[in-house]
Amino acid sequence: MPAAPSSAPSSARRRQRHNHGFLSYSTLLLISVFCVVPFFWIFLSSFDGDAQLFLHWPQQWTFDNYTRVFTVEDGGLWLFNSLFIVGCATILVVVLAGFGGYALSRSRAWWKLPFLYGILLIRVLPPTALVVPLYTILLTLNNWESAILRPIFGGLTRDIMRWTGFIDGYLGIILVLAAMQLPLALWIMKTFFDSVSPEYEEAAIIDGASLVQRIRYVLIPLALPGLAAAGLFSFIFAWGDFLMPLIFLSSPELQTLPLGLFRAFLRVNEIDYGLLAAISIIYLLPPAAAFVFARRFLVATFTGGVKG
Amino acid sequence: MKHRRRTAAWQLNLLLFPSALILALFIIYPALYSVYMSFTNEALVGPSARDPSLVGFRNYLRLFGDAEFWNALYVTLVFVVGSAIIGQFVLGLASALALTRRIRFRSLFSVFILLPNAAPEVVAGFMWISMLAGGDNATLSRIVMFFGITPPDWLQVFPLWMIIIVNTWRGIATAMILLSAGLSTIPQDVLEAARIDGARPFQIFRRITLPLMLPTIVLYMLISAVSTIAVFGLIYTLTRGGPGGATELVSIYIYNQSFTAFQLGYGAAVSVIVLLISMAIGIAYVRMMAVRV
Repeated sequence: MPAAPSSAPSSARRRQRHNHGFLSYSTLLLISVFCVVPFFWIFLSSFDGDAQLFLHWPQQWTFDNYTRVFTVEDGGLWLFNSLFIVGCATILVVVLAGFGGYALSRSRAWWKLPFLYGILLIRVLPPTALVVPLYTILLTLNNWESAILRPIFGGLTRDIMRWTGFIDGYLGIILVLAAMQLPLALWIMKTFFDSVSPEYEEAAIIDGASLVQRIRYVLIPLALPGLAAAGLFSFIFAWGDFLMPLIFLSSPELQTLPLGLFRAFLRVNEIDYGLLAAISIIYLLPPAAAFVFARRFLVATFTGGVKG
Repeated sequence: MKHRRRTAAWQLNLLLFPSALILALFIIYPALYSVYMSFTNEALVGPSARDPSLVGFRNYLRLFGDAEFWNALYVTLVFVVGSAIIGQFVLGLASALALTRRIRFRSLFSVFILLPNAAPEVVAGFMWISMLAGGDNATLSRIVMFFGITPPDWLQVFPLWMIIIVNTWRGIATAMILLSAGLSTIPQDVLEAARIDGARPFQIFRRITLPLMLPTIVLYMLISAVSTIAVFGLIYTLTRGGPGGATELVSIYIYNQSFTAFQLGYGAAVSVIVLLISMAIGIAYVRMMAVRV
């Protein structure tokens, strides 16, 4: 700040500042209200013994809605399926993106630039436009798998396919969700490794460390923040996805939280709003918690996708 | 040393291989396969489900004469322009500018603005049903009644406006984060110099902030346009494309044609059009990035 030449302009400026403070507050306040209001209903209804479609203050506060998610409905199974599927997809993405991002950052091969542009282009392809051919391809794979397994395992085939099937099986949905999150994660890890000096590895190489040792003792500890960011974002986006489970899962024992919530809502004549709200809150909490952790990576990630 | 470097090169290739394989198998191959599928009469049920055959350009001829398809493209265009290009951008920029000031409750405000982005698609759609449906009892109806306005049946009278508002709500945070990052790269001494020269805040914004932010803004527009074309679950839970196709985004149209009407070949043809549009935006995006990679 320069020294104020006289008191009059400085007080005018202070008034101006003050006005701006007010303007900023009211802008943020209005936008925050807009952002938060829709959450009121779902939060209040989940504790309301007599929840309705419209917002009202609960007459009787209760945990009953939450208990019913696990007793009347198969909420426990849905939660397990969601955690298992999205958890496996996230781990897969983190491992693949960790290795791949390292290779992309260190490589000087001719394919490096085309590959990077390829990732950017892949990121813009909408999953909704990929889902039709993907479904056909996975259906064919699934039929092949079943044709191979059926003569060997007979009646047990369905139980095995529940885990290894490409349609309506854990393996298929895990791979699909992982593939959709992989481009962003690769990009995050590539930019992250770009900022890690290769001198650490060179020192390890001089000391005679093998690639595996270098990864285990040098790279993983260095890459942890990047891996955390890539993992958190993969988890948040895969967890919130509705399209892929809708297309690739059908049997009740594979239902995930978004499908359970959506189908409970489709029982037109007997919609239980308290129950729906409770499922929603349960479904909402993990990504909200992940967002709290991810907040400090947010800027780096979103700009990472932009600035490179 | 030379030998060691060559080993490192194949080791790097090996590390990248699994990622490349998954992307090729689950994204690139399907994208190419959709082109082939769009020339067949592949279906989920009926005789052509067992024995799909090539039908030439029939799907595309049908598509270009299909009023529902053009409607879906139009709805998507309005949706993208309304929510990503205008709604999220304006509110995101306003919150980013306001948050650059040192004010109290800064992080509380940013948590509130991030909250809609954390909500899964289905939960977000479900919450907005309570905001908009239910006649005079809908939350939004009660808010406007408080100001003495008679509320319409939101999702029946202004369906397209409503999904634009809902998607704006969900994406303010993304815009805010990106634009904040752009704002933070503007050198403080330039702003300070302008202030000393007596520039008014609006002049500073118009002559300094905006021009310096332009690359960030263009990149934001491209990214958010592409990701808004992909929106499905949020709007599908809220309206399922209705009433009468008024909110039938092209993503919902693909889903309905392929998995409700079971016509995969036709759905693939629509997918090809959407992929081409996204690729066109994507190539512009990559060309902008080319300077920076």
